[in-house]
Amino acid sequence: MSKQFALSDLVDDRPDDGVFRINRAMFRDPELFDMEMKHVFEGGWLFIGLSTQAEHPHDFFTGFIGRVPIIVSRDGDGELQCFVNACPHKGVRLVQKKCGNARRHVCPYHGWTFDSSGANKNIKWKKGGCYSEAFDSENHDLAEVARFGEYRGFLFASLNPDVPSLEEHLGEASKLIDLLADKAPNGLELVPGRVTFTYAANWKMQLENCADQYHFTSTHPSYIRILEQRAKEEADEVVKSSIGASDFWTENASGVTGGTMSFDHGHVLNWGIMPPSSAIADFERAEELAEEFGEARRNWMFNMRNLTIFPNMQIAENASSQLRVIRPLAAGLTEMQTWCIAPRGESDEARRFRIRQYEDFFNPTGMATPDDTVCYEEAQLGMAEQERPWLQGHARGMTATVEGGNEYADMIDVKPARSVLADAQLCDESLFASYYRAWAERMKEVVA
Amino acid sequence: MSALSPSEAAEFLYREALLLDRGEFDAWIELFTRECLFWMPAWRDDGTQTEDPDRELSLIYYRGRKNLEDRLQRIRSGFSVASEVLPRVSHLVSGVLVEEASDDRMKLSSAFVVNTHDVRVNRSHAYFGRYEHELVLQDGEWKIAGKVIRLLNDTVPTLLDVYSI
Repeated sequence: MSKQFALSDLVDDRPDDGVFRINRAMFRDPELFDMEMKHVFEGGWLFIGLSTQAEHPHDFFTGFIGRVPIIVSRDGDGELQCFVNACPHKGVRLVQKKCGNARRHVCPYHGWTFDSSGANKNIKWKKGGCYSEAFDSENHDLAEVARFGEYRGFLFASLNPDVPSLEEHLGEASKLIDLLADKAPNGLELVPGRVTFTYAANWKMQLENCADQYHFTSTHPSYIRILEQRAKEEADEVVKSSIGASDFWTENASGVTGGTMSFDHGHVLNWGIMPPSSAIADFERAEELAEEFGEARRNWMFNMRNLTIFPNMQIAENASSQLRVIRPLAAGLTEMQTWCIAPRGESDEARRFRIRQYEDFFNPTGMATPDDTVCYEEAQLGMAEQERPWLQGHARGMTATVEGGNEYADMIDVKPARSVLADAQLCDESLFASYYRAWAERMKEVVA
Repeated sequence: MSALSPSEAAEFLYREALLLDRGEFDAWIELFTRECLFWMPAWRDDGTQTEDPDRELSLIYYRGRKNLEDRLQRIRSGFSVASEVLPRVSHLVSGVLVEEASDDRMKLSSAFVVNTHDVRVNRSHAYFGRYEHELVLQDGEWKIAGKVIRLLNDTVPTLLDVYSI
């Protein structure tokens, strides 16, 4: 395949010169977008859901890998499987519902029938169909995705068979999933109620924003003022804020307040010190967690942690706990599917508290997220500039980045490829390089 | 006092809508009781709406007018880029039914379409669904003790604030 783009025109990655820059074309070019769908989203590991979304035999849920509809189904033996959600006959999407329980799936068009393990159980009027032997020798089952794997309840799949193992893909970043899973001895679940929103900008705006500590005080001052006011008033009818109860993000906080970790294959973590407090829903288990895991690891479970598993999964543990799935629709249009992710079996009070904090901050109908998404859209407009194509937004922290981890990473035995320990005003941007290096790796067939 | 007649009840809802259309938020918020419920449930994956706001997610769930006051403060703060150029809105309320009525408490149901125009990006969108209002008589005035907004097209294009529904 001919290379249509030169990598050096898109990503200016010269660590020895202290340069890491991204071309605005990365956010706006429709041809590049089509290539991203094929090679980034349909060409490698993608997060597709939680195992608890299909818990019992014959439970299923549907979604997309890139542009391709998929179904995740638990068969009669309890095995999870992932198929392309399209009938082999005419390509019709087999299952329309978002979730459910069914032993059989019947195609709405010509009635071909499949069981919950994807096996074809009936071709309507097969005997009378005068099919050739060639047809009979074809496989009529649902197409399995090339790779499918689970890590502690998190499900990933790839349409491309030529990818590293899931274990290798997640690498050391899996230990940050451990931190979430260990906090939930009865498993993690999605609180009922999926919230979906779109924004008119490139998917990489969301990819970056989750790891962007720099924007918080300048994008959300209206929210911060409300937190300050609420702290003074202490009214019962408004929800207490975990962010308001910590100071890692404030201009005057001193010492190490957090930092970043970058991992191979594009995963990153932006974190901040958030001491265990009654402003966090998990506080009811703070002592128990310290006994079980030790104080250092317990404290990490309470820290602000924005984790991205490249390219489409983000878990934000800050104002509450959110799972975000990024689904690009066009170069300038992105769909976000979002859920409140929570430990099973927490008390009614903790659950209620978690949900109220979530709605307040994370919802597109809340008081923070719209200020982010509007900024993405304004950025998308500015991406049209061509005279000076190189963005200046990936430069902070360049001289603070070290290879490997640091004493905080050691506390949870994580060995990142690179890390930054930060005071409140450092707000590292060098971690974004990890995204774009993974992007380049997935795009290497078409961008080199 | 006695319950509002069906036409008076409809007029009450039209006036509430007009205050939002005109951006008269102080007068709008005065329509609510201090302990009011303001609730927009989310949708579960099975196509039903969330019913228990303490165990399930809502798009908005407030008990207490103070929360609406916070929303208005953010909208008018000058520090929220999403609220800097306020979208223009036009609420169409119709099919108003009096579901229950006593001398001091009423339940109304209605259908709504809110046409919004986001001036910032020259983008129009219509939110639609159903309202369920609970009105109570307080000191001789009918107030909103509860407003449930059942949003049917719940994929939110960029933003949805209290004036958009």
